[in-house]
Amino acid sequence: MSNQAGQAYAFMAITPILEGEEKKLRAYLDGFTQETSPFAGLPATHFARWVILPDWVDDPSQPRQDHLGSEYLIFTSNFDGPLGSYLDELCRRPEAQEIWSHCVGAPKPATGHLLKAYLLHNHIDTGFFVAAYPDASVEKVRASLALRERLSAFAVRSQGMDPATLQSAFNAEFGG
Amino acid sequence: MSEESPPTAPITATGTASRNVDGQAIAITVFSSVKWFGRLWLPLVFWYANHFPKSTGTLARLSFIHFARWTLVRRIPYNGPPQQKEKLSYPRLFFESNFNGGWEEYIDAFSHILTSGMKVFWGTSYGFPQPLPTGPFKAYIKRNELEASHFYSAYPQATTTMVLAALDLAPRLERFKEQTSGKTAEDFAQDWRKFLEETQGSL
Repeated sequence: MSNQAGQAYAFMAITPILEGEEKKLRAYLDGFTQETSPFAGLPATHFARWVILPDWVDDPSQPRQDHLGSEYLIFTSNFDGPLGSYLDELCRRPEAQEIWSHCVGAPKPATGHLLKAYLLHNHIDTGFFVAAYPDASVEKVRASLALRERLSAFAVRSQGMDPATLQSAFNAEFGG
Repeated sequence: MSEESPPTAPITATGTASRNVDGQAIAITVFSSVKWFGRLWLPLVFWYANHFPKSTGTLARLSFIHFARWTLVRRIPYNGPPQQKEKLSYPRLFFESNFNGGWEEYIDAFSHILTSGMKVFWGTSYGFPQPLPTGPFKAYIKRNELEASHFYSAYPQATTTMVLAALDLAPRLERFKEQTSGKTAEDFAQDWRKFLEETQGSL
């Protein structure tokens, strides 16, 4: 198993959805935007998703068809470790409480260390995890992207400047 | 060996449901049912890939993947009633990718560049067609793909290439600042031009 690449972690939990709750849960999840996403308040999150699994997709070539006993909520996240503190933060979010309150076996209320224990109980280990930049935190990625943008803009803006103006403008922009 | 020309560079996030998209980023989530010998084979594949990272170098060179994972789901955790105990007739291979570009171009690139690697990962899945030609493989992925209810990227407007370029640029700028500290304006301007030439690929 490999839940880690550099300082990046891959977490996955599969939790059963209470019968009759799937529509409410789906509507709640569908309501999130980039701005209102609970992950926007979890600064260690690179990429994350919630997916509802209604049933297995069976292949016609299987000797037997398989069916799940209920619908399942799949949660995966790619984030800056460690795992424990990330789950602590996630389980403090009010959205997490709302989401997992629709699942079988979740604590009531679905929050704090009891929710964390529930997610860990339903955790599935990753087999192979690939990260393009395993040692870069979200904070570092965002800062580097912002710097690149500033540098590109400065490279354009500084064209044609005489040496003294260029040096002065660079120092003002980047603190050289 | 590839039977078709490699795909052209992807442009923007296209070709999938809107809930699988956040800015430039696309989510792929796929389950496939695994034959009995995959229960033995896939853990060996994962072990090898984890212990010999160079064996997956081609995957790492695919410049549009931020994060991806393969997981063999052999059991569903039990939480007590009213959950039914799930008995899986077949383990399931879970695949997730967070990438940029277009869905079609992504599958094309996977099929053309990782032709043998895909057979290693999905060869024990029921119904897996060969990676090439890409048509049947795309249909297979579409059939097994799940739409995200919510997908989030912390930097939705950045492609993987942009992130890697930015991460490369930041320390180079710091070195440039150190090297030009205290120089005359003329020498600084000369070094600046050289710096731009050296870093133009990352800007």
